[in-house]
Amino acid sequence: MQVALNNVTVRFGPVTAVDNVSLGIAPGEIHALVGENGAGKSTLMNALFGLVSLASGSISVDGAPCRWTLPQEAIARGLGMVHQHFMLQEHMTVLENIVLCAEPLGRFGFVDFARARARLDEIARTHGVKVDHDRLVGRLSVGERQAVEILKVLYREAELLILDEPTAVLTPQEKDRLFATLRSFRAAGKAIVLITHKLDEVMEIADRVSVMRAGHLVASSSLEDTSKEEIARGIVGGELPAPRTRRVQEPGAVVLAVDEIVVARRGRDVGPLSFQLRAGEIVGIAGVSGNGQSELVRALTGLAPAVSGSIALCGKDIVAFDVEARRRQGMSYIPEDRQRMGLALGASVSENAGAGHDDRNAFAAGPFLKHGAMADFARSLIERYRIRVAGPRAAAATMSGGNKQKLVVGRELSRNSPLVIAENPTWGVDIGAIDFIHGELMRMRDEGHAILLVSTELDEVIALSDRILVMYDGAIAGDVSGGEASRDRVGALMTSKSADALGKVA
Amino acid sequence: MLELIADPSFAASIPRFVTPILLAALGGALCERAGVFNIALEGFLLVGAFAAVLGAYFSGTPYIGALAAVAAGMALGLIFAEFNLRRGGDSIVVSIAINLLAAGLTTFFLRAIFDVTGAFSDPAIAGFAPVRLPLIEDIPWLGPILSGQSPLFYLALACVPFLHIFLARHRLGLRIRAAGENPQALRAGGVSPRRVQLLALVACGALCGLGGAQLSIANVNLFVENMSAGRGWIAVVAVLLTRGRPWPLFFIALLFGAVDSLSFRVQGLGLAQQFTDMMPYLATLIVLVALSWWRAKRTKGDAS
Amino acid sequence: MSNAKTISREALPWIFTILWIAAIILALLLFVGAPVGEALSGFWNGAFGGRRHAYLMATLSRSALIVGMAVSVMLSFRAGLFNIGGEGQLVAGGLTAALVAVLLPGPPMLVLAVAIASAMLAGALWALLAGILQLFMGVPLLVGSLLLNYPIRYIASYLVAHPFRDVQSGMVQSHLVPQETWLAYFPGTRLDMGILFTAVAAAFALVYSYWTVHGYHTRLNGLSPDFARTVGLPVRKLTLQTLALSGAIAGLVGAIAVFGIHHRYIDGMLVQPLYAWTGIIAVLLVGMVPWAVPISGFFFAAVQTGAAGMERAAGVPKEIALVVQAVIILFVASRVSGALSSSRGDGDGHA
Repeated sequence: MQVALNNVTVRFGPVTAVDNVSLGIAPGEIHALVGENGAGKSTLMNALFGLVSLASGSISVDGAPCRWTLPQEAIARGLGMVHQHFMLQEHMTVLENIVLCAEPLGRFGFVDFARARARLDEIARTHGVKVDHDRLVGRLSVGERQAVEILKVLYREAELLILDEPTAVLTPQEKDRLFATLRSFRAAGKAIVLITHKLDEVMEIADRVSVMRAGHLVASSSLEDTSKEEIARGIVGGELPAPRTRRVQEPGAVVLAVDEIVVARRGRDVGPLSFQLRAGEIVGIAGVSGNGQSELVRALTGLAPAVSGSIALCGKDIVAFDVEARRRQGMSYIPEDRQRMGLALGASVSENAGAGHDDRNAFAAGPFLKHGAMADFARSLIERYRIRVAGPRAAAATMSGGNKQKLVVGRELSRNSPLVIAENPTWGVDIGAIDFIHGELMRMRDEGHAILLVSTELDEVIALSDRILVMYDGAIAGDVSGGEASRDRVGALMTSKSADALGKVA
Repeated sequence: MLELIADPSFAASIPRFVTPILLAALGGALCERAGVFNIALEGFLLVGAFAAVLGAYFSGTPYIGALAAVAAGMALGLIFAEFNLRRGGDSIVVSIAINLLAAGLTTFFLRAIFDVTGAFSDPAIAGFAPVRLPLIEDIPWLGPILSGQSPLFYLALACVPFLHIFLARHRLGLRIRAAGENPQALRAGGVSPRRVQLLALVACGALCGLGGAQLSIANVNLFVENMSAGRGWIAVVAVLLTRGRPWPLFFIALLFGAVDSLSFRVQGLGLAQQFTDMMPYLATLIVLVALSWWRAKRTKGDAS
Repeated sequence: MSNAKTISREALPWIFTILWIAAIILALLLFVGAPVGEALSGFWNGAFGGRRHAYLMATLSRSALIVGMAVSVMLSFRAGLFNIGGEGQLVAGGLTAALVAVLLPGPPMLVLAVAIASAMLAGALWALLAGILQLFMGVPLLVGSLLLNYPIRYIASYLVAHPFRDVQSGMVQSHLVPQETWLAYFPGTRLDMGILFTAVAAAFALVYSYWTVHGYHTRLNGLSPDFARTVGLPVRKLTLQTLALSGAIAGLVGAIAVFGIHHRYIDGMLVQPLYAWTGIIAVLLVGMVPWAVPISGFFFAAVQTGAAGMERAAGVPKEIALVVQAVIILFVASRVSGALSSSRGDGDGHA
């Protein structure tokens, strides 16, 4: 199926998310669409899919112009999309998920599940993609969930598959399996669009690559006619930033000592976990998401109780402390979910900046608030962290993702606490903000703070950490020192329970 | 107490109290599963009760009364949908407003149409006659429960398994569950979650309307201001407790209905009416507490 | 030019809203065959007119209770606590006030002070009960606070029907509280001083909401409970304190109703007029903005007394007030965005 986007423009209010982009997608070809977060890749594909409407431009399939307002029409025309955040119903079975919105009907509108099973068996035979039909999706691994998403698309007989950041949540091994499947689709003559920001994957599998930056298509060529460096330059719009240098320093006293803590989790508890964190070092916690990292963080911050074990912060056992007491004892926390946990979006920037600080009475005079002092503090953060916002009185919701995150990071780091826990601190923010936040964490390390960096972005962990702990299935699978860290070593640990796997890979 | 429970006339009165709660709760369950936080069941019941009297009074048959109740409930469901789904009003706010609207409309039209305040009763209001089931009525104790009830009771009973199968295997049932769990995914699949939620609300209105009809033209033949008297809220609790699953809902409704009926019964035993009136609400609170304790204990057991 | 455009873009939906509400009211008036002109003038007169503004005073007297309940509810709602049990807290307060005043001997001013204090305490305790049910027994506040309305209603009804009944009166009501404890009227009017208590409560709520640390903390909790927990606010303590505060104000309103208006506890006197629910919708109408809450409460009081005037002048059932209030809330709730749902977040902005 030949798909063409002609001069497509998409606007959200005053913001132009996609600006006059033309792109052709050919059958039997894997077309990589790359660009940094917010470059407009997903928006462009959502437009192709009918999820957002075009301000101008057109779409044609096999030469015939198409104008759909509903995704259903795009699906009927043979388009299929695997979204970055899976569009699955956790409390439904695999089978129910697959047929949802494309149900084979029997009598009186009841669903003919037998027919659906037969079709899925056929798909399993031809493409080799198979997941147990009757399992609840909520109990599947991330890789299996992705297989369900792909089955959904195949079930609808799609000829064009759009995959939005499909490898972001996969282990290297699961990624290899996915790529094998994609190659078989290519051989079957399907058209595939791969949205990604990982260049290695582009080089590995794509036939054609298109680069987007700030809503524009900056390059589109076959893979042979370009190079990794050229693509990278296209993405950031200039030369790449120099790799971060780190000051060599001996770690100081133990700031955080975690001893045999166990945290409750649905299904199986997390732990027992033990590790130490010293002043002046960044310890990274790597792992595919859902392997117990968030439970660990919740237990450390006091948001969830530990079942057993002890946590010592600056020499004091804090297991019995609540969140406030732990923060007072010397802990700051940059949560993963800035929308829900990092900020109160309805409150002003100044109110957000002041929260969690007032324990030192800086912003209070008796029972009354010192609005002026809070605003001054917010202004200092805005300046110091280069936050783009109208002012301290503006609502936090009016900021972009990167600026919101800078506000959270600024608020927490400015507390100057001995321990900083940063959980996916650069998730979903633009490249400039990532660089800035990394720099700030590094500065804190150099100044002698202890930093626990929990991240599912392997690059981030490797770039920043002095030591890396890899979590797998609720336990620490391995401890890799920063210097010897390599993608493969950590990747192997991310998928296995013991350090045995190390030998095989290394 | 034992005597009381063994008393066949007590047993026979249980369905009268179960039916309105069960019907309203089944309607609420549809909303809950579809992801609509509808806590206006009280208002839905009230409007149903009034419309049933209206229909039965002017047509002379209870079936038209029930139809009128269904229509009024569906209309109220549409109003809920308009303000919550289309205009984006907060569901709690809309629910509170719908409850007030129901109280206002029923009292207003009570005076505007029948020119009475407080209560309207008239021989012309045609009520449902009990349906006698031969053979079954002769079963000891159970017979009087199962036989001799209003048609709406049997309808409510039939709704429980039907709703269960509907949610599990029907296309709309599947989509209702999807709209409640992950509407984004439904939208990506090309189905508007709002439309699914609208259908759930309208169906909820119909069921609640029937529940209201049971109150006004099956249990009695009259309309009293605010005659739903908190039963809609009890139905809300039943829905929240069971997360909208039909079978557990049935048993909870049975329990609440039995307490309701019991409180009605013990009034004759010298206990002040105020205390018996209190019983359904206290029972509801106790069940809420007990169930949440039981759940907490079970998840704790799970974890270790 | 563009300014005029934005104004019209902002104003147009409001104009449509007002037209809709007007059309619905008109339809109801036509349904009962009321003369529209007389009905409207009756409404105006009933809300604001009367000989020596007697009806305006009635409106003010009613707003004393409605605004008080609105302030009580607002404190809870802003803290993200869906306390819809104001009615129970109000009844607990009114009942306690009346019984204390009837039973306690002593100098009237002292009795009055003790009665008001115990009314506030009773309201606070009743609200706390809902909070305890939520925090320690897993009963959602929305449901728990509501269900608690019923037991206290019946307890009050029982107490004034049996042990503390004024049997001679033949009604289900308590004895009169000592006349010396009655709140005085403003000179030359039939408006009691109860409204001053409401004014103090409203002023307190204003200062509390905008300028105190506690108010700031509870608001953060209301906007995003997860955020409040993450930055280490003592959420449970805040919840209980806020509920107690809410309940105390509701209890105070109950006392005002007793000492200012009815001078005894009459069964149903606080429930039937739906003071608590009107207070809730008054808060929702203005999206929980503190300074606007008293105005909104006064507005709804006027709708109610105006409807009574409409009944006198044009024979329109005064129950129309409830319909009108509900319709207003329905239309306005969808326009005042984010009233209760702000905590659900709305994605990254574009800046």
